[in-house]
Amino acid sequence: MIGFDLTKEQLECQKMAREFAEKEIKPYAAELDKRPETAFDWNIVRRFAKANLLGLNVPKEYGGLGVDMMTAVIVAEEIGAACLGIMSAAAGNWLATTCLKHVGTENQKRRYLTRCCGGNALLAALAVTEAEAGSDMAGIKTLAVRNGDHYILNGTKIFITNAGLANFYIVFVTSDPKKRHSGLNAFIVDGDSPGLTLGAVEDKIGLRASQVGTLIFKDVKVPVENLLGAENTGFLIAMQTLDMSRPCLGGAGVGVSRAAYEIALSYARERKQYGRPIIENQAISFMLADMAIEIEAARLLTWKAAWLIDQGMDSTKASSMCKVFSTEMAERVCSRAIQILGAHGYTRDWPVEKYYRDAKAMAIYEGTNQIQRMIIASML
Amino acid sequence: MIYKNIGKMIQKAREEAGLSQEELSSRLGYTQAALSNYELGKRRLYLANIEQIANELNKPLNYFLEDTAETAKAGQEKTQDEITSEIDKLLLELPPEERKNILEYIQWRKERLR
Repeated sequence: MIGFDLTKEQLECQKMAREFAEKEIKPYAAELDKRPETAFDWNIVRRFAKANLLGLNVPKEYGGLGVDMMTAVIVAEEIGAACLGIMSAAAGNWLATTCLKHVGTENQKRRYLTRCCGGNALLAALAVTEAEAGSDMAGIKTLAVRNGDHYILNGTKIFITNAGLANFYIVFVTSDPKKRHSGLNAFIVDGDSPGLTLGAVEDKIGLRASQVGTLIFKDVKVPVENLLGAENTGFLIAMQTLDMSRPCLGGAGVGVSRAAYEIALSYARERKQYGRPIIENQAISFMLADMAIEIEAARLLTWKAAWLIDQGMDSTKASSMCKVFSTEMAERVCSRAIQILGAHGYTRDWPVEKYYRDAKAMAIYEGTNQIQRMIIASML
Repeated sequence: MIYKNIGKMIQKAREEAGLSQEELSSRLGYTQAALSNYELGKRRLYLANIEQIANELNKPLNYFLEDTAETAKAGQEKTQDEITSEIDKLLLELPPEERKNILEYIQWRKERLR
């Protein structure tokens, strides 16, 4: 049976997330976006922690909210509608905790998942990308060499969300670059490990409130018990984590689009030219109709992927489809919103240009949309 | 795609062990439908599931993963390999005279592409 009614718990979570986003995020979005240099703000982390949203998908037994995927995408839509940049800090946690909760041992989960929960929750991050290993994950060069009861990590990770801020990182490394995919391993690395330093912090066109930077590992000692899963299973762990996190990106894309659409709609109803609101011109109303159609379609595709995950089914294709459609839709919708607002839309007095800059990132991170198409094509 | 490939390897290992889906699923404590869905790649397989299956079938964990990673990476190259091996297989089934005709055809095609 197909039904689109949300459960009572999902509706409550949606309401909580909407109120949180309106009160705790939206009022700070423009200010953080306009700050020069890095605009990351620890106060935002505290607000997320107070609502336990950093532990959104962490099971309740470890102190998290323990929501299912369907609820997670609904929450992502609400927060995405307020600010994608601020959301990135929390999304870094969601990625790391998704990974940890599925492959971590009981001991690892007790030690690390609990750190992402409750009022004093800390940040976490996933570190995959390197200078020569972006889309091609098998090109990872950061090396882990076993030395008795620990591993020694050496290498550099780039474009890492929450770099320099996270309490712990889930780092993908190789035990032997020649083995490519079959040599990949995932480790939990404490943020304060000796030898782990923050390199350059990126200056980005959007997601200004999110800190993205380089992590340098120089002889970083990691205990053997911090290896995730079995040896050389890092590729499966990464793919599985990303499959299960992509619907949240789909939800965030719907959220930012919804925000842009709502502004464009109310502007078009109020702005008068030739003595009548511009929405009475078919050229404008059809643009708004197209925006509404695409937002709804992306939401349904996102919900389908989330539903598959909650059913324990393979969601790979649906996750990639919702990621591609929702993020490209977000770019189109935000661009149309700017068009409807005309010159106003192009200024920084209105938030739509920020939405547009933020939305662009989504087609690039967590697997570029070209990689998503490769995944989808391989499953046709 | 990953799950489909792992599923194929599970089916292969199960058949090599001479077990039916029913037998293996009862040993693992799964329903037969669940195992069938794993083999078809319809259900998400966690590392813990794969480890359990690998133990039951006496295979190393990487038996199920290595091929998967290669296939995920190769994509189009794999398709080319499959075409070549399909041609090889069909050629061997043809009488020698026919094979000679095909060789001439390939040479003709190659000439035309120059």
